[in-house]
Amino acid sequence: MTDARKWQLLLGIPAVLLLFVFLIMPLAGMVEMSFRTAGSNAPYGDGFTAVHYARVLGDGFYMATLLRSLVTAAIVTLLCLIVSYPLAWHLSTARGGKALFLYACIASPLMTGVLVRNFGWMIVVAIDGPLNASLMGLGFISRPLRVMFTQGLVIMALVHVFIPFMVLPINNALRNINPALSEASLSLGASRLSTFFRVTLPLSFPGIQPGVILVFVLSVAAYVTPALLGGQMVNLMPTLIIRELTGTFAWPFGSTLAIVMSIATLSIVVAFSLLTARLMERVRA
Amino acid sequence: MTPVSEKRGRLARISFGALILLLYVFLLAPLAAIMLASFTGGELMRVPPQGLSLRWFVAFFQRQDLVDALLMSLRVALVTSVVTSIVGMMAALCSQALSRRLAVVFQISMTLPLLVPELLTSIGLLFFLYQIGLAKTFIGLQIGHILIAFPYAYVSIVAALRQIDPAMEEASGSLGATALDTFRRILLPLAAPGIVMGAVFAFITSFDLYTISLLLKPVGGNTLPLALFDFLTYEFRPTAAAAATLSILLSALGVALIQKIVGLQRAF
Repeated sequence: MTDARKWQLLLGIPAVLLLFVFLIMPLAGMVEMSFRTAGSNAPYGDGFTAVHYARVLGDGFYMATLLRSLVTAAIVTLLCLIVSYPLAWHLSTARGGKALFLYACIASPLMTGVLVRNFGWMIVVAIDGPLNASLMGLGFISRPLRVMFTQGLVIMALVHVFIPFMVLPINNALRNINPALSEASLSLGASRLSTFFRVTLPLSFPGIQPGVILVFVLSVAAYVTPALLGGQMVNLMPTLIIRELTGTFAWPFGSTLAIVMSIATLSIVVAFSLLTARLMERVRA
Repeated sequence: MTPVSEKRGRLARISFGALILLLYVFLLAPLAAIMLASFTGGELMRVPPQGLSLRWFVAFFQRQDLVDALLMSLRVALVTSVVTSIVGMMAALCSQALSRRLAVVFQISMTLPLLVPELLTSIGLLFFLYQIGLAKTFIGLQIGHILIAFPYAYVSIVAALRQIDPAMEEASGSLGATALDTFRRILLPLAAPGIVMGAVFAFITSFDLYTISLLLKPVGGNTLPLALFDFLTYEFRPTAAAAATLSILLSALGVALIQKIVGLQRAF
């Protein structure tokens, strides 16, 4: 190795330090915190205990909230996939200036904050807002819908937030499919529908899998959306955790909740990856 | 093709087109609603607006707490963008010197703040900053923003460096230029679009962060998203729409800048 190359390696030190000191160590610290005793005057005590885990796992309320969070995230992920696939397919067939315009439409929500996008829904779904006005104008409903502070609104807003995370990887996967494959399927007499389900859809799986995992992980831990649009009415793990940490200053217990949530999320992601591993291998072959 | 299947094909195309249109309306509706509501001349935050005016933007700039929050957000985002660009550039140069297998591990490690949910990072940092005596300080908040925005800068710069033909560097070296000269006169100019793109991404990411700011915010300091959330909880007035419109315009400016310098398709 030349001297210049050795010097070049040293340039990575600040980044490695940044991530190690301010990400890895704090995450390890959070695990340690979950085993601390509760403090009387401080956020946490000096001793160590596993009592918080027993409390979380033994209490029906926390388990029900965890389950609700996981189910909500699964619904969000599924809806997001259903909504994003046609968008990704449409985007992957566009070329030139049209493709550029569509990219901007997909990416611009990504560039505005989650809070701003969620706040937009408050205006759209207001009692005298445009959604109710158009639904009543079209004769679908006779009285305005009250959707503020409902689980349905939280799910819709989360789907909206995560669409770009699903569209972009699926779009990349679709662009990598050799068009000759679906043409071959069509010319061999398969219908458009069966060509889609037997050729295009399986081949786009390398984009679907990362999209699904990313959206699920981010949905479980999403805080702003349920806090703003669900209020006190929609109880999910992240809102519960933040309340423990900032409201009652029960840091060890809040950490335990966060860790139980992460372990549950991770188990589901691992199970999903294992279940879909065979499909991925077939696509690669 | 038979006339019947041709007709069915056209019907399918039209309904698919309508579906796509509907999905784009869904995607852009909340942003459009905010912008429309911010220009209302009336007292209520609603769409369609009652008359057009800029009075709520004036109202926004007369609210000292909101303006302070905006200035604080801009300051944090600026520092974040400068620091992540420099550290990201150094890390990207380091990754070039690594063996292929190590480079993969390095790449994943550098994008960790993107892979770990913001909520967990924020909680960990809250405890850690408390233990080293930086809880509720401006510097603590700044560290959190730099950490989360870092991967955006890093990924853009790495992609830009990868586009550069290694022969350029070798030619420069064999012609007698020092490593520093090669960096300054070959690599830096060629990688500049990627560096700018990373800096813009990092800036916007930092400007929009909510959860980490909520947990790490300094005593007496508020960022714009935090102030906006509180404002929405207590007074649901068009001033909020004006604040949000300003942040949408800032993002649009960023997207336009990236498009001008590198092109959107390469960016995402």
